[in-house]
Amino acid sequence: MTAGLLSAPLLWLLLFFIVPVGFIAAYSVGAIGIFPTDAGVVSFDDWARFLRGDTIYTGLFWKSVRMSLTVSVAVVLLAYPIGYFLALCVRKRKYVLLLMIIAPFLTSYLLRVLAWKVILGDAGVVNSLLFSLNLRNPDDPIQWLLYSQFTVMLVLAYVWIPFVALPIFASLDNLDRSMLEAAGDLGASRLKTFWRVTLPLSLPGVVAAFVFVFVPTIGEFVTPLLVGGTSGYMYGNAIQDSFTRGIDWQFGSVLAMFLLLVVAGLMMLFGRFVQVRSVAG
Amino acid sequence: MEITASRGALRLFRIYFALLVLFLYVPIALLGLFSFNAGDTTFPLEGFTTHWYEDVFGNKVLIGSLVRSTIVATVSSVVAVGLGVLASFALIRRRFFGKPAASALMFSPLVIPYLVFGVSLLVIFTALDKLLTNAFGVYIGLGLHAVAVGHVVVSLPYTILVIMPLLERLSVSLDEAAKDLGASPWQTWRRVTLPLLLPALVSAFLIAFTLSFDEFAIASFLAGTEPTWPVFLFASLRVPSRLPQLIAVSSMVFVASLLLILAAEVGRRMAERRYGSEFTARTVV
Repeated sequence: MTAGLLSAPLLWLLLFFIVPVGFIAAYSVGAIGIFPTDAGVVSFDDWARFLRGDTIYTGLFWKSVRMSLTVSVAVVLLAYPIGYFLALCVRKRKYVLLLMIIAPFLTSYLLRVLAWKVILGDAGVVNSLLFSLNLRNPDDPIQWLLYSQFTVMLVLAYVWIPFVALPIFASLDNLDRSMLEAAGDLGASRLKTFWRVTLPLSLPGVVAAFVFVFVPTIGEFVTPLLVGGTSGYMYGNAIQDSFTRGIDWQFGSVLAMFLLLVVAGLMMLFGRFVQVRSVAG
Repeated sequence: MEITASRGALRLFRIYFALLVLFLYVPIALLGLFSFNAGDTTFPLEGFTTHWYEDVFGNKVLIGSLVRSTIVATVSSVVAVGLGVLASFALIRRRFFGKPAASALMFSPLVIPYLVFGVSLLVIFTALDKLLTNAFGVYIGLGLHAVAVGHVVVSLPYTILVIMPLLERLSVSLDEAAKDLGASPWQTWRRVTLPLLLPALVSAFLIAFTLSFDEFAIASFLAGTEPTWPVFLFASLRVPSRLPQLIAVSSMVFVASLLLILAAEVGRRMAERRYGSEFTARTVV
């Protein structure tokens, strides 16, 4: 009976999740050949080239890590006060206010990225506003607004703030308020109560929030494509290019597998903090 | 003394909250504004129009992509909800060897980068295709079936997350009572468990549906010659003159999804009145 219940979902995940991932793992070392040009012999050369840093992709990976880290830290810092305010300071309507923060997540992801392209482009909102106010000559728009690393990070932060507010809010909302009152009764100042009681108790939520931004942004390729230009090019774009431009699927598999291993490692380190249920509330 | 924030701090929090809401909504609102603008997506505005909305229905390619997304989202969320029910029953009602591992596996699609999952499916579908074409002359190729298969995988953990809590609160003694009164397992499921589970199934379906409808990364690798709406949207972004129309469609999709969620919420409240609140799950988040 139990086997009957489990078999369908497990079979689906096995066939369409485990096997494909295992397949590109095998493909990345040449254990499987798909195209006539594939060597068909097992070789770790591609992995070695990548790990030794002989290709531009190793540097690109670290650049993407830096960008994702910056975005994740910034987003958690920006969202924490919101979670704190809604969970602990607001008495009435806190769920309505929370919904206000989360609602943008219902609009299309592409659309939210696109909005910034419309705002920051050469003929975008900012520039055209400047032209019409005669503050800037139409032949000379501010060009650095779009297609930079900073723009990519700004847009990623914009996209992920609503999602991150949720686990932080959940951890603060579940916190036992009598602990805070006890700290106050024992003479702790507000700042000290926050620093010694509230913050440590909310750390699991903070770590979960961090992971929930870091994992998708490290594998991001859509935002850089739309607003990144050449300087905003990320590791994810390299993976996408190796498959869609048909350059080298085998090396692309190495890049993709490496990303997966990094994420898996992160989950092993921080997984126990991530309460999957906080996503669904 | 209010221990969480002083009056001054509270004021700062309120200002910060308002600023953040502005930051989140102004870009979206600007797009909405431009979808009614006679000119392109720049200032100054050139007058009010609804023709971007009207023209949508004449654009066959665009409508085709919306239809495709609806098909993929419907099929993949029905399958995901079905598999989610089975998985939730196993995880809540049964004890079995390797349960932590099975549970970890079912939730792992939550954290896999969609890019990596998308290329994995691309590679295996291509390899499968070569094999089948060479050996049997059967051609499958990429397309909607591949996209749907991938979307089921990434929606499955969300459906389990919605169904599991309700199933946990649903007392096993209800099933036992039905059995004692002579109901067959099928009757018990059809007349007792399913009606009580229905609100969670609707929520799970809606979450899976919206996830699939908006999903770009996986679909972009697997859609092949059958672009879904996000894939079509992305491809069309290169033509700036089409932008207002694309925004108009997106606005309509957004309003439709809001209405869908509202309808589900109304349905949930009605179910709550009928069965009592302890049996119903929250619709959104």
